Amino acid sequence: MNDGKEELDELREAVREFLAAKSPQSAVRAAMETEQRHDPAVWDQMARQLRLPGLALPSDYGGDGFGLTELEVVLEEMGAALLCSPFFATVVLAAQALLASADEAACARYLPGIAAGQTIATLAAAEGNASWDPALVTARAERSARGWALSGKKSFVIDGAIADLMLVVARTIAGPSLFAVDRGAPGLRAEPMTTLDPTRAMAALTLDQVPAVLIGAEGQGGRLMSRVLDLACVALAAEQAGGARRCLEMSAGYARTRFQFGRPIGSFQAVKHKCADMLVRVELAEATAREAARLADEAAAEFGVAAATAHICCSQAYLFAAAENIQVHGGIGFTWEHPAHLYFRRAKSSELLFGGPAVYHERLLDRLGI
Amino acid sequence: MTDEMGEFTRQAREFLDAHAARAQRAQFRWGEGDDRVTYFGADPPEVEERKLRAAREWQRTRYENGFGWISGPPEYGGRGLTPVHELVYDGIESEYDVPDTGTLSVIGLGMIGPTILVHGQQPVKDRYLPAMYRGDVIACQLFSEPEAGSDLASLQTRAVASGEHWILDGQKVWTSVAQHSQIGMALCRTDPDAPKHKGITAFLVDMSAPGVEVRPLRQMSGGCDFNEVFLSGVRVPDDHRLGEVNGGWRVALTTLMNERATVGSEGSGPVAEALSPERLSALMRATWTWDDRALRRDLSELLADMTATGHLNRRAFRQMQAGVAPGPEMSVAKLMYAQNLTRSAHFVSRVLGPRIIADTGEWGTYAWAELLLATPALRILGGTEEIMKNILAERVLGLPKEPGIDAVSPFRELPKSGAGGAS
Repeated sequence: MNDGKEELDELREAVREFLAAKSPQSAVRAAMETEQRHDPAVWDQMARQLRLPGLALPSDYGGDGFGLTELEVVLEEMGAALLCSPFFATVVLAAQALLASADEAACARYLPGIAAGQTIATLAAAEGNASWDPALVTARAERSARGWALSGKKSFVIDGAIADLMLVVARTIAGPSLFAVDRGAPGLRAEPMTTLDPTRAMAALTLDQVPAVLIGAEGQGGRLMSRVLDLACVALAAEQAGGARRCLEMSAGYARTRFQFGRPIGSFQAVKHKCADMLVRVELAEATAREAARLADEAAAEFGVAAATAHICCSQAYLFAAAENIQVHGGIGFTWEHPAHLYFRRAKSSELLFGGPAVYHERLLDRLGI
Repeated sequence: MTDEMGEFTRQAREFLDAHAARAQRAQFRWGEGDDRVTYFGADPPEVEERKLRAAREWQRTRYENGFGWISGPPEYGGRGLTPVHELVYDGIESEYDVPDTGTLSVIGLGMIGPTILVHGQQPVKDRYLPAMYRGDVIACQLFSEPEAGSDLASLQTRAVASGEHWILDGQKVWTSVAQHSQIGMALCRTDPDAPKHKGITAFLVDMSAPGVEVRPLRQMSGGCDFNEVFLSGVRVPDDHRLGEVNGGWRVALTTLMNERATVGSEGSGPVAEALSPERLSALMRATWTWDDRALRRDLSELLADMTATGHLNRRAFRQMQAGVAPGPEMSVAKLMYAQNLTRSAHFVSRVLGPRIIADTGEWGTYAWAELLLATPALRILGGTEEIMKNILAERVLGLPKEPGIDAVSPFRELPKSGAGGAS
């Protein structure tokens, strides 16, 4: 147990150092202005130097076989640094969808490329109505002599404009199913969407008779998406917890050094209590994200409840911390130059990415059997 | 887990298997069993008496089998192990159906025993420590006063030296278990000309001494779970002094440090059970509010925070077991526990609607009024929410203290309530 903690601390330190060097605020701002919305050189180094994309993938598929507990640490640091990267889409959404499909051939075909950082991948599930509920998918898959072909539209596809591999949820006669589509496939168009959060790229896909490969069994999409969303919520929670912690650090640091009325503003209880409230929320957020990851690794029965809890608590904590961080900073926090708004944007977009409070509260009650 | 801890765990189970039955968590059915939901005890006197007797007996059984004072030194009947062993034992014991020993343990064994051990003089340690942990002597904490709440160091109860004795005069308030206690730890002003933290001395008071009067204090929820304690010319021998003369603030900090470790571990027991997801959903079904969207949203927010607090506690506990010092988790858990319970009571009241403002006689409805009326205490007792936040912000985040708090002037010269300072 103790050894485990030391290893996690070492991993955190390595990732933190890497991100401090490769993704300082200036790099985040540069990346978010580019068309690709990330720095391919950093993506490459992340794979070669730190082996991060393969960290939590099974060793059978070229990964290092660690669990969500380790991945969680990496995602916390990425969230704190606001790293612009296809990491979440590739390693969390796409790789977990492949694993959840239990399609060994597909895993063997795609996961080694993901683990090595050679394949950028994503999951296209939501459509114009913004729902990730596979029951509401309208994109269709039809089988002919030449194989499967997909038609329809997808939205909110994270890093969809740069992905080499797109896993698309589409409907067959058997129900929602998962398909693989390669970049450049005929009939596929990916348009970048204008996003509230410039550090997380999204695209809208138009599919017109696009050739595709069925992943797993037909009609399996409902169960698969439920599993993937649980894991994605926990991974997102890690990013959110990391971002919230960074907002708290920024606020506390500023409150210690900013003088008004001849004293540090952090000596005023109104500001002090605001920071304490942020601390409370951040501590809770971290605990839920880490505990959910641990329960996932143990395949514990309470994982579903823990995942839903982490998603709610981390969404609330991040939004709260990001908003209060601007308030603690006052006017300077409202400027474009100050990073506070980037965290606010990320916090809001993360809260609502998978449907937000309108969806996640019922999800928790469902997981509790209420 | 280490081999040593494994052996300790085995011994604890062996002891408990021999002396207690496994707790049976009764299957909950709406309308069956006791529907009382209460935070404070407030039992009828004969029930309270019976429970106290059982608690003392169980503490004696623990003591005789080496589990009465797990972290205490052997020369006073302790087992010489660590506070982590204590936590581990508590975790195991909670799986068994044993008497609640809170009356003895929360204040006396949890806070005052460790204080006597560090600051007590030899005769007092010999006389009281084994007796306390054997269940014979119950201790209370005579700290708060009407004029010293959050600012405990502004206390005014006086102690004046008289030969080999001290004479105590003053009033203490919010004293839990004083009515059952044989001894009380009192903080007194011994030098009003010193700055407020530097003129306080701590004493161990015999609660049966002449001049000690315990009066029940009726709280807003209707029961009497606290007391006022009046000290009028109470004689205390000098060997009952804890720590140095005018060194009482340090002694008090020892006591309060142990308080935090105790309070943070709440979160199980009958109240927690009443607020479990299954109970709350049963309540919504019984009141036909099952599909009320606003209430469902409230319920989810509440359950998310309660689950999160549980996870925070669990992680802190696991860290301590692994030998890692806990961070701010316990203070955060305490704040959240108070908020969660308060929000729960209000959530339930919204589910019940008018059924909690007048008793219809229906099972499991008006019974919630007791908890509702207890919750305002939770954000005050054991350190108000505001003080807790100051501590978190100053100690964890390193924010500067409030300027202008006078820790230098003689206590005598500090402005006091009702003295015309705010005319």
